[in-house]
Amino acid sequence: MSHPDPERFRAQVAALQGALDGGDAAGFRHAFEELCGQMDCGLLPELKRITATAQSALARFSAEARLDVLAGHEVPDARKRLTHVVKLTDEAAHRTMDLVDSCGPLVDEAARGATLLLEKWKSYGERDLAFAALWPEQAATFLQRTRTDSEALRANLTELLMAQGYQDITGQIIRSVIALVDELEQVLSKLVCIAEGNEVTSLQRALPTPQDWQRGLGPQVAGIANGDAMSGQDDIDALLSQMAADK
Amino acid sequence: MSTVKFLVVDDFSTMRRIVKNLLQELGYNDITEADDGNTALPLLQAGSFDVLITDWNMPGMPGIDLLKAVRADAKLAKLPVLMLTAEAKREQIVEAVQAGASGYVIKPFTAVTLKEKLDKMLAARAAA
Repeated sequence: MSHPDPERFRAQVAALQGALDGGDAAGFRHAFEELCGQMDCGLLPELKRITATAQSALARFSAEARLDVLAGHEVPDARKRLTHVVKLTDEAAHRTMDLVDSCGPLVDEAARGATLLLEKWKSYGERDLAFAALWPEQAATFLQRTRTDSEALRANLTELLMAQGYQDITGQIIRSVIALVDELEQVLSKLVCIAEGNEVTSLQRALPTPQDWQRGLGPQVAGIANGDAMSGQDDIDALLSQMAADK
Repeated sequence: MSTVKFLVVDDFSTMRRIVKNLLQELGYNDITEADDGNTALPLLQAGSFDVLITDWNMPGMPGIDLLKAVRADAKLAKLPVLMLTAEAKREQIVEAVQAGASGYVIKPFTAVTLKEKLDKMLAARAAA
């Protein structure tokens, strides 16, 4: 900090005193402004410099603090989220293939039964009455079996449909990781700006607040603490009943 | 029964398709879809829907805001609203119920759960 010249100060104070003693209001104001100007020219640039340093330190601190949280918690969490995505897609693929496997024999059996009956029907046409006599009973067995198998097929189809729900869950998780990557990019470029001595522009978008559950947090991921989370539908149903009872 | 008119709101088209298929399996064929609260609300205000099924976490207007907007609209205030979402925080479920959700189904869900909650909601609606 550059100190103002003491001799100039002394002269300005004397001028101020003289104007005051002489009742010279205009002179007093002039001397006072000059004195203030003298102080400003030393203090103001210094103050500006300190403020700028403090601002940049604060910006750096907030960027570094955020980076700390990102690196310390959110990146490891993102790894868990993506691992969970791998697990969900793996389970859904296996579930789908298991269901396809269990549908195969049902369809094969229907085809086999129908072929058999068609042969019998043909023999009936050829007046082979010994064979034909068995036809109604075999047809009834076939129809019975087909009905049961069709119900199982329908249930499997529903299950196949439900298995595709993984896309919504994994999609939400992947989106949250994309948001994290976006934020990492912004914090890192902010730090680069500060390191290069450039003026830091504010982040393009407000940083997300992890506590803000109003917008939705996405699916629960094992191993990531998310406060007071319900374990499943039964847990939720119990809470709803309790709330209804408390009303 | 089959004339019940549904609006299904979810930003993931796969989930809308799953819900639509399940509803059709249950015998409901009048189903409209929307991808967030902003597109759903005008549809609700213009149409005569009987049931709203909505996700929570959606870009644009989230499901909880849609629920509040529905309850704030005199014409829609009594509409049965089922939240069908992966959101599992206790505070969220409490918030949804206080905002007037008629039911809350957590994803991943089963066809049986969806049917059970729908039946309950529709029975309550018929009794009202």
